[in-house]
Amino acid sequence: MGEMKDAVRIQLEDFSQDEEVRALQATSKRMGGIATFLGCARDFSEGREVSEISFDAYERMALPEMQKLRAEAIERFALLDARLVHRLGVIRAGEAIVFIATGAEHRAPALDACRWMIDELKKRVPIWKKETTPQGESWVTPHP
Amino acid sequence: MITILLFGPVAERVGKSRLDVEFEDGMCLQDLRAQLEPLYPEAFALVSLAAVNGTHARDMSLALADGCEVVFMSKFSGG
Repeated sequence: MGEMKDAVRIQLEDFSQDEEVRALQATSKRMGGIATFLGCARDFSEGREVSEISFDAYERMALPEMQKLRAEAIERFALLDARLVHRLGVIRAGEAIVFIATGAEHRAPALDACRWMIDELKKRVPIWKKETTPQGESWVTPHP
Repeated sequence: MITILLFGPVAERVGKSRLDVEFEDGMCLQDLRAQLEPLYPEAFALVSLAAVNGTHARDMSLALADGCEVVFMSKFSGG
C-alpha cells in the first residue's frame, strides 16, 4: 500500500480511479453505495476536432473551493466520505480530467451527491479550459 | 501596491498574467476595476467574477488594503 493521498487534489499527473475508490472504501465499512464521475477530454467540440486541452487555475482559491465543495457534499447528502481530483496542464484527447467519488450507506445519496459535486465544481472552482484545434487555440465558453 | 492576477481568457486578452497597481487610501474593488477596464476593455468584457485574497468578492464596494491580491475572472470552465 502506498501512502494515503489527500481526498481533494489538483495535480498535473494522471490518477488511478481504482486507487481513489479503494481509498474511499477504506474510510468506512458502512458504505453500501459508491458513485463515481470521470470527466474526460473529448476529441471533438463545437464542430471542431480537438487534439488536446489545457487548464489554467487560480490554485490559491481552487483548492480551498474544492475542499469546501467536498465538505458541503458530505454534510448535504449525509455521505460517509467523498474524493475529488482535478488535473491541470496539457491533457490529450481521451485522457482523464476530473474524478469524483462519493460514498454513502445507500446508492441514492451517493449518486445525487456525485452529480451535485460536478455541477457545483463547474460553477465555483476557478479553473479555465483551452482547446487546441487545427484552427488554433481557444478558451472554452462555459455551458449552462 | 495591489497585485492583480489574471488567468485563462482574461490573461490572454490582457497579454499578461499579472499587473501591479499603486494602492490609494479608500480604494474599493470597483475603483480598481474602473481604473483597469478602459486600459483592457476586451479582457474586462469577459470578467464576471472577482476574488480578493483568494475569496469570492461579490460586493464591488469591498474596501481594498495595501498589499492585497485581486483576481478578475471570466466564467469558469473546469471539469
